[in-house]
Amino acid sequence: MSRNKSLSQQILALLRLLILAIACLAVLAPLAYLVINSIKLPREFLTVPPTILPTEVTFQHYEELIDDSKTIRYFRNSLTVALWTTAITILSGTLAAYGLARMRLAARFLALITFLFLFIRFYPRVTTVIPFFLVMRELDLLDTVWAIIIGQLGITIPFVTWLMLVVFQDLPAEIEEAAIVDGASIWQRFWRVVLPIVMPSVSAAAILTAFLSWNEFLIASSVARRKASVLSIAVASFVSDKGIQWGPMAAMSVVMIVPMIIFALFAQKYLIRGITFGAVKG
Amino acid sequence: MGEDHVMTWHSRHDLPWLLAFVLPAFVIVVAVQFYPLAYSALLSVQEWSLTESQEPQGFVGLDNFRAELGDSTFQRSVRNSIVITGGAVILEMLLGVCLAYLTMGSSWRMRAVRTLLILPMVIAPVAAGTLWRILLNSRAGLVNHLLSAIGVQGPEWLASSDWALVSVILLDTWQWTPFVLLVAGAAIASIPTDLLEVAAIDGASRWRTFLHVELPLLLPLLLLTLVFRMLESLLSLDSIYSLTFGGPGFSTYTLTFYIYTQGLRNFNFGAAAASSWIFMAFASLSIWLAFRFQRRDW
Repeated sequence: MSRNKSLSQQILALLRLLILAIACLAVLAPLAYLVINSIKLPREFLTVPPTILPTEVTFQHYEELIDDSKTIRYFRNSLTVALWTTAITILSGTLAAYGLARMRLAARFLALITFLFLFIRFYPRVTTVIPFFLVMRELDLLDTVWAIIIGQLGITIPFVTWLMLVVFQDLPAEIEEAAIVDGASIWQRFWRVVLPIVMPSVSAAAILTAFLSWNEFLIASSVARRKASVLSIAVASFVSDKGIQWGPMAAMSVVMIVPMIIFALFAQKYLIRGITFGAVKG
Repeated sequence: MGEDHVMTWHSRHDLPWLLAFVLPAFVIVVAVQFYPLAYSALLSVQEWSLTESQEPQGFVGLDNFRAELGDSTFQRSVRNSIVITGGAVILEMLLGVCLAYLTMGSSWRMRAVRTLLILPMVIAPVAAGTLWRILLNSRAGLVNHLLSAIGVQGPEWLASSDWALVSVILLDTWQWTPFVLLVAGAAIASIPTDLLEVAAIDGASRWRTFLHVELPLLLPLLLLTLVFRMLESLLSLDSIYSLTFGGPGFSTYTLTFYIYTQGLRNFNFGAAAASSWIFMAFASLSIWLAFRFQRRDW
């Protein structure tokens, strides 16, 4: 009996290992294949049967990207957008969340605000893209990084406010009491007492905002198609009428993906908390 | 009591400050979200094709809505959206929950496996699209190469209308199963272990324990995850844009992609606004559902 059981348990354990190995391969193989494609010679792309491992390694696709002043500009634009979006979002979102948390709003009103946050995160954003395009045209901001930044702020500020609202609500009001008795104004209390305590959550929110901004496509592609273009648009633009430029497309995708993967490995906990926020609280 | 008094007095005193804290965020959200929403509602009842006129071409009532609902591309896009989102979300829920159970545990090996498995989620969807475009290339792609290694002749993934739909489902599943894995994993880890022990002592099999003890506890969160995934999948534009660009023909036009091309490629602002409000009605309902699930007061 017990020998049988341990045998069936061994088989199950083996099966589990096998499934997990397949799952890991399903994640890793595509990524590895992308990197391999970015260092393949152009003539090896469409040979039949395909060359999975290239016979010769070339960095020509990356060199072409670096030599092209447009790539450098896309990269710089992506960075500019991500930095400004993150800075403005964190400042205004954290303050707004603190304000809302300390206002002692009625439960009904808080529920309404939560619903609005949920709505802004999930309504079909394609609805507002055209009016936003028209407004930016009116303000003469089309094809500038500011059009992208302003558009992204509309997404990231509610998200960060929502995230931080939960954090501030869980923070006991007592921690501010000593400072209140000392006569500190709310502005001083926020900066000296509250902010240091919630700093880990603020970092989480900042990492998440930078991540969303870097990967964002819809807004960028609707208001900035030429000189203010960013990496996400560049990646999508390699599919042209002349056919697909496999090498440069793979290289550009690597340029876009690698920073986020490094980011994810180092700040995994924060990033996960942000991505699953709303489904898993806190 | 005294301190309580101090707090109340201060919170009234602080109110102008608190309002000032909220103001910048409030102004930006109203300007960037709610104003364009109202603007778009206004556009939906007007005729305006930018290729014909720089200004709106007059009020047409519900004509745009009627025209869109009767449009064959619109109808096809709705069908495609249902197939893609339905297929992808079902696969993601099943795979995600299974993998969440299989990766339980806090050993360094399981932690490493979990870290690895969530990587697809951090990749920009637009880059995930190009990645799968390379993988699914019928001649030189890795997928068909592997299939031929086991003696299967792979299909023309992105060139056939049916397989292109499968390709989009495949991409969505590859990228977002990790989301379900994460949420389900957190939920499973929060089930009190004594509940499971009691079930084990009562002689319940592992499967029965899952069905009668764990599943009912997990269900609210799984439903919420399902609605979140459904909405995000319906709304996604980037991955389709770079994987199939709606093609071949209109075979992988989703509702979001259709509205995007109507508005920002054909510049049919009125039509795009009308179809996006039809979409909005459905999305709002789902968001309301998610809101109810999230508060669990049902």
